[in-house]
Amino acid sequence: MRITIVRRALLASVGTLAILGGAAQAQDCPIRIGALAPLSAPGTVVGGEAMRDAMMLAEADINAAGGVMGCEIEVVIGDSEGLPERGAAVMERLIAQDGVVAVGGGYHSSVGVAAKDVADARGVPVVFAETWNDTITGDKQKYIFRIAPLSSWASGTIYQFALTLPGIEKVAILTENTDYGIPASEETKRGLAEGGVDSVIFSVDIGTQDYAGIVNRIMAESPDMIITLVTGEAAYNFTQQAADAGIGPLDLPFVTGQDALESGAYWTNVPDGQYAFVQRIGVPESQFTEKGKAFAAAYKEKTGKSDVEGYAMEAYDSIAILAQAIEEAGSTDGDAIVAALESIEHEGTLGKIYFPYGSQKDPSEDGKGDEWWHQWPDPALTMIQYQEEGQASTDAAIVYPDAYKTADPVLVNQ
Amino acid sequence: METPAIFWGVILWMVAWGVLGSILLRRRYFARDLDTTNANFVGAMAGAALGPVALGALWAKTPELTGRIIVAFALLAVVLIAGAFAFADPQNNCVANGSFVASQITNGLIIGIIYGFMALGLTLIFSILGVVSFAHGEFYMIGGMLVYYITAVWLPGINPLLAVLGACAIAFMIGALFERLMLTPMYTGKIDRPVEYGILATFGLAFTLQYFVQAIHGASPVKAERFIDFPRLRWPEGADPLWIKSSRGNLTLFETISISNPRFVAAVTCILVLLALLYLLHRTWTGKALRAVSQDRDAAAIAGIDPHRMNMLAFALGGMIAALAGALLVQAFSWLPQVGAIPAMRSFVIVVLGGLGSLPGAFVGGILVGLVEAAGTGCIPDAQKAASYIPAYGMIVLTLTLLLRPTGLFGRRFASGAHGQ
Repeated sequence: MRITIVRRALLASVGTLAILGGAAQAQDCPIRIGALAPLSAPGTVVGGEAMRDAMMLAEADINAAGGVMGCEIEVVIGDSEGLPERGAAVMERLIAQDGVVAVGGGYHSSVGVAAKDVADARGVPVVFAETWNDTITGDKQKYIFRIAPLSSWASGTIYQFALTLPGIEKVAILTENTDYGIPASEETKRGLAEGGVDSVIFSVDIGTQDYAGIVNRIMAESPDMIITLVTGEAAYNFTQQAADAGIGPLDLPFVTGQDALESGAYWTNVPDGQYAFVQRIGVPESQFTEKGKAFAAAYKEKTGKSDVEGYAMEAYDSIAILAQAIEEAGSTDGDAIVAALESIEHEGTLGKIYFPYGSQKDPSEDGKGDEWWHQWPDPALTMIQYQEEGQASTDAAIVYPDAYKTADPVLVNQ
Repeated sequence: METPAIFWGVILWMVAWGVLGSILLRRRYFARDLDTTNANFVGAMAGAALGPVALGALWAKTPELTGRIIVAFALLAVVLIAGAFAFADPQNNCVANGSFVASQITNGLIIGIIYGFMALGLTLIFSILGVVSFAHGEFYMIGGMLVYYITAVWLPGINPLLAVLGACAIAFMIGALFERLMLTPMYTGKIDRPVEYGILATFGLAFTLQYFVQAIHGASPVKAERFIDFPRLRWPEGADPLWIKSSRGNLTLFETISISNPRFVAAVTCILVLLALLYLLHRTWTGKALRAVSQDRDAAAIAGIDPHRMNMLAFALGGMIAALAGALLVQAFSWLPQVGAIPAMRSFVIVVLGGLGSLPGAFVGGILVGLVEAAGTGCIPDAQKAASYIPAYGMIVLTLTLLLRPTGLFGRRFASGAHGQ
């Protein structure tokens, strides 16, 4: 008698669980979107934290506007540590364990190159925010998209700018030996050579602090210009140590790393950094869209920084565009999201984001290479120059290209 | 390189005769019942430098292997490598450009002094506690962070010397506290496996310090302002080239060697503190007590020295030395919570090279590693690779040391009964 009651109770509870489980499947809230960012060494933690702050802002904004498909979204951040094997493992974990339906973010190219294969094999769409290596889209994988500019294109801006400067016959390039640094430096060297300028490449490990020996060697080459392609605080260390030795931004045309855009940290770490050139992705703050200005204000308030980094805006847009794609697809199925992304028009903080080339139109139809597959073609690339000591990067003069130019470059060696 | 065949051919010859020499000479000394401690090293160096001629002579005579013979053969081997390099690549900066070589040597020397000083702290901790401190890099980081915060955030405008002293004092207290709380149980018989425990405990301290600082400070790179500005100096007046020329941030010797202000100040301070440390260790009672404990704990205890107090002092002092190195370099490098990892690894290499437990060994080892890194960065012909391989140069030296002379350059032959056993 007791056994029958127990068995009935068991059946009843199992039945209830099954119904609830089914209901949960149908509802499936919150919708989880994964994100990769470097939050510990040897990754560039400054970049990762900026992206994390931006992506959490995106989560808050999207949920405040009603979420996606009636559900709230939850951004799950995975720490890639800047290491490719870690990035692949984190991607695996986000998909298998955290159940994300799509992934945004991504800072280091080497992490992007490793992690994209994992996501593509699992049918989970990824919109990379700040990974530049060409092969990330060049492999023409179905589920991989990118907002950040192509590395070859970004290098193009730098060497084309260098070729406009007078009296440059030899350039020293300092790069990092990663999936970003090596292709970028080789592309820059190639581009300079086409313009008749000789160059020599020095590559270092990420996180190198002491540049005395390398600076000495660069001095022995007597360059007319120095281009820095390292990321993170390594660029600060190199720029200031070059300045100490007499070949800094105050002595010859000097392109410093992108992290100089965080002007507060730049002037603290590189007090002799006036007249340095920096590459920036995205239009100047004065030309931001309404959405861009709103984001900039919220970001500055949240982080206490004086400027918004390009990669923070890319990270924000990567989450927002995925949310819009899921909404338009009406489903969290990977293939549906990919179809939505291929035809999407997203008003992001960086401008109108769209992906003209994909399964509907191959890049070769317009005579473009494979790297344009699922690539946003419009991020504005400019060269700015810190013409006054201590100025914010938003106030810095834009010296290239002509479309955005606000002032002529100041050449210290002329 | 113009003719790599010459260089690699010579290296191959040296390696072959070095290996042969090391094996044969050790056997010979062993067979003759002589002291074999240095036989490996001398055999390798003699074989590499002078080939079969030197080996034959040593085999026949089996002289006592004094320090002079060791140094002479080692120098000869280095000269041979340099000579082969010069022949193989005469256009190389290291061969053709004298001022370049002088600058590289100076750079290597200066940074080597600072690294050696930091390694000193590590070897002090090991020689007295018998614990390899994996938190050494984090003390270095803490020293720098404290100086930055004291001079830029908490008490702006304060004399940098006071900030450095403050940072050292705080690091000393952290070290003493940690030792008392976590490492003392090793010596009171409460821990089964003290060696592994020591490693894990210091590892734990390293993580705690690094992530604590990251949580509080965040990940933005920071830097302290230059401590002092050099006066504008031109000496001697009217000479060409000027022997010493200085501007606010730089010192130029003979108008070829350029030394940046922060590094020069750091190196000079390290030397002064080293001299103070040597005075402490050799002329004061406390220093002698520390050395006594490092030689034999039990005998020191019998003689009336409290080993627990000496342990605490040693760990705190070692940590403080690392913090001082950091405090001096925060004006030269950008500082982050992760900044201690590379110097810590380098300290290990230096300590093994110089000999675990030997203070002059750590200093000389530091200078050697600094010079090797400068030579590698400056001389390797492929510009793209030269700087990427910086971590490897120290590792090559470490590997050779472990193979040929495991006790290090100045290391003691016999362990001194450390870690409470």
